[in-house]
Amino acid sequence: MPQTAQRKKMNGFFLYWRYIRLHFLSGLQYKGWFLMVIQVIFVVITDPIGTIFLFSRFGSIGAWSMERILLIYSMAITSFGLSESLARGFDSFPWKMVQNGGFDLILLRPRSTFVQVAASVFHIHRLARVASGLIAIAWCLVRLDVAITPWRLFLLLYALAGGCLLYTGVFVLTSGLSFFTIKGLNWIYILTNASYQVTRCPMEYMPQALRTIFVFLVPVMVVSYYPSSVICGWGEPVWTGLLALPAGFAFLGLSFFMWRVGVRHYKSTGS
Amino acid sequence: MNEQFRGEYPAGVMCRPRPLRACLSIFRIKLLESLQYRLAAFTGAATGVFWALIEITVYIVFFTYAENASVPFISNGLTLPQVISYSWLGQVLFGLQVTAIEGDILEKITNGDVGLELCRPLNLFGQWYARTGASHLSTVLLRGGMTLIAGLLMPEPYRLSAPVSWAGFLCFLCSITSAFLLCTAFGTFASVIRLNIAWGNGPMYIMLLLGSVLSGNYLPLQLWPQALQPFLLVQPFAGYLDIPLRLYLGTMPTSQAFAAIALQLIWTAVFVLAGVLLLKRRLADIVVQGG
Amino acid sequence: MTQISLQHICKSFTVSQRPQGRAAAVRGIFHREKRRIDALKDLSFSIEEGELVGYIGPNGAGKSTTIKIMGGILTPEAGSCSILGRVPWKQRTEHVAHIGVVFGQRSQLWWDVPVRDSFELLRDIYGVPQEEYRRRLQELSDILGFSNLLHTPVRQLSLGQRMRCEVAAALLHSPRILFLDEPTIGLDAVSKLSLREFLKEENRRHGVTMILTTHDMDDIEALCSRVMTIGHGQLLYDGDLETLKARYAPLRRMRATLLADAPGDRELLKLPGVRRAENTGNLCTVWFNPYETPAHLLMQHFMQNYPVKDITVQEQDIDEMIAAMYQEMKL
Repeated sequence: MPQTAQRKKMNGFFLYWRYIRLHFLSGLQYKGWFLMVIQVIFVVITDPIGTIFLFSRFGSIGAWSMERILLIYSMAITSFGLSESLARGFDSFPWKMVQNGGFDLILLRPRSTFVQVAASVFHIHRLARVASGLIAIAWCLVRLDVAITPWRLFLLLYALAGGCLLYTGVFVLTSGLSFFTIKGLNWIYILTNASYQVTRCPMEYMPQALRTIFVFLVPVMVVSYYPSSVICGWGEPVWTGLLALPAGFAFLGLSFFMWRVGVRHYKSTGS
Repeated sequence: MNEQFRGEYPAGVMCRPRPLRACLSIFRIKLLESLQYRLAAFTGAATGVFWALIEITVYIVFFTYAENASVPFISNGLTLPQVISYSWLGQVLFGLQVTAIEGDILEKITNGDVGLELCRPLNLFGQWYARTGASHLSTVLLRGGMTLIAGLLMPEPYRLSAPVSWAGFLCFLCSITSAFLLCTAFGTFASVIRLNIAWGNGPMYIMLLLGSVLSGNYLPLQLWPQALQPFLLVQPFAGYLDIPLRLYLGTMPTSQAFAAIALQLIWTAVFVLAGVLLLKRRLADIVVQGG
Repeated sequence: MTQISLQHICKSFTVSQRPQGRAAAVRGIFHREKRRIDALKDLSFSIEEGELVGYIGPNGAGKSTTIKIMGGILTPEAGSCSILGRVPWKQRTEHVAHIGVVFGQRSQLWWDVPVRDSFELLRDIYGVPQEEYRRRLQELSDILGFSNLLHTPVRQLSLGQRMRCEVAAALLHSPRILFLDEPTIGLDAVSKLSLREFLKEENRRHGVTMILTTHDMDDIEALCSRVMTIGHGQLLYDGDLETLKARYAPLRRMRATLLADAPGDRELLKLPGVRRAENTGNLCTVWFNPYETPAHLLMQHFMQNYPVKDITVQEQDIDEMIAAMYQEMKL
């Protein structure tokens, strides 16, 4: 027998891209994909429609113009879209893997469950949300007369990276919890699709409770409002904009812990 | 289903299918089954309450601090307490919104079992209608009930206010019933659309989302741009949510209730008819292709 | 050398039940009962390197729970387990690098892309060096005969073709232990035979230990030198198939076609050593125990007394034997 123990394994990151490549090749076989792209764009356009109509009827709220709110909102949904594209496996995990026992197959592979699950689903059309988010960010910055400097560009990408980690954390948390219950999981909607709705409310008018939740507990504001404020010079200190990445990391770290607890529970109870 | 018929008729007697009865018993079974998911209903209600609170916060900010907040008639006749009640009732009636087609139906469509069902001498549209209706109703009863209680218990100014009058409340109840029929018809119609496997989920979801947006779920239709108002009232999805809520809040006089409910029923009939015809065509296709 | 050893393994599950009876669904909203089910009760066995073991038992007996524990998917509540010197659920990644699993009803191949792409991903997952991968793939495709299928998307393969590829996928990394969960389910006769042939060959050539759960007793008869029977979470039999047969299927079936009408049951039962008899037209069948009455005595009697056209002697059907065993053990 060959010495299997001596084998050198390709690192997790590389393996992840091998998976994505296969998903991409599989996806090309599916003819309805452009309809899916249209679907995502439709979602992106209709989501903020209520806010836009409110602004057009009521006008700005003090210094808070529609462009400002839309910029913060776009930061949040672009992060969300990025994470939804890159860690989609966790997003659909509760329904795809726990219920039908697909997670057994993952446990039978000598690799981290984390990488395998993250790469288990990939839908190219989800990138449509990222693309439309980026376009909206650019439009808002132009309307707000903010010139793009290298520093601001860096800060923007930095915040998006933090946001991507944050939302990946949300998905990982959901998957970790799904080992315990699936039917009672729909409240997680608060952390996904509902969380970026909070950005519709101007920061200084937000009730203290909401602010605490979305700054300290689920730092959506840290990856959207504060970086936007630093980029556009609305008065928040620079360091608050730089919290995006550490905050995203911290949230992902805690979620990862929950994931581990879930996996242990799965292994002790079965599905 | 067949099991049941077999039990009811002695062997050797010609069985006469009773489609309406079959549909009713599907409705009953499905409803009782869905009522089991109390944890899902509870967490769903929690989500609804949270959502309503965010919405209400945004409305309060706009109604209090916006540039044009004091311009007369800026909100098209809607007061802040009315908009807040609108948000609550929107969440209470969330179950009526068709956000996806019914799970069992979707599974049968995607795994191909539906081919068998299409070939049985059953009224498939009626069955789907019963299933869809039952799953919506159970959500409204459980999740909606809990949300309603939360809305009534909230402190001012977040509370759900009482209906404008007894007459208005009565009209609201009638209108809700037809809204239920309308939503179910649309949900079933969407299932028929989904039968075209080659299209995947895309077109169906766009359709459902369009319905949701135009129902007033995203923003009360009265706060939409003025130029769109006449169109917004007659389009089918106003009957989902906006029409019943207008009757509740009193922004539509009870004298117009009859016409509004008739409109809901007309759209219901349109969706049912379209669904039945489309299903028939689909069945013909399958027979021609040999399954 | 002992490769697999399970000692006093226990595992139970909690299932929630809806109340029974009228208006139960409504009561179910408020109240639900929980019940504990013991899937495995003090299960112990050990398996040597290179053994071919058939693991049988009725549905729900605990077969797949055992396999899941040995695969590191489940953690037992009590007991110890050591496979290749490792504890599966504690050293999962090291452990599963040396085992392979084939599920008859679950695929590990990618549906929409050519088989080769799935294989290459598995190569990367298990970190098989390119040279070794090429050699192994060549070897497997020669024996299993799928080299012309490598460029076909999986969804276009027949079940038999797909199963051959599944088995190859589970063996690409040259595991030392192979678990097979109902590998021949749904296969046609030719595919079944060639799959069994391949498994025997792989076992002979590389000494791969194989544990096979199945409901197809022909699989067991063709492959396994050892049979373990599990029921209600306990090991009920562990030994070779012959002993099992002597115990639960001691009878032989002799079937004779006559040139005239067959004699009646009563007459047949009077023959020496006959336990059971059947007759239809000119065909008569008797069951006897060869350890008590040698076949030649019975045959002689037939030849002398009846115009025999054709005569066959067979072992009892193995499915009947298993049914008899399950029945005796009250499974």
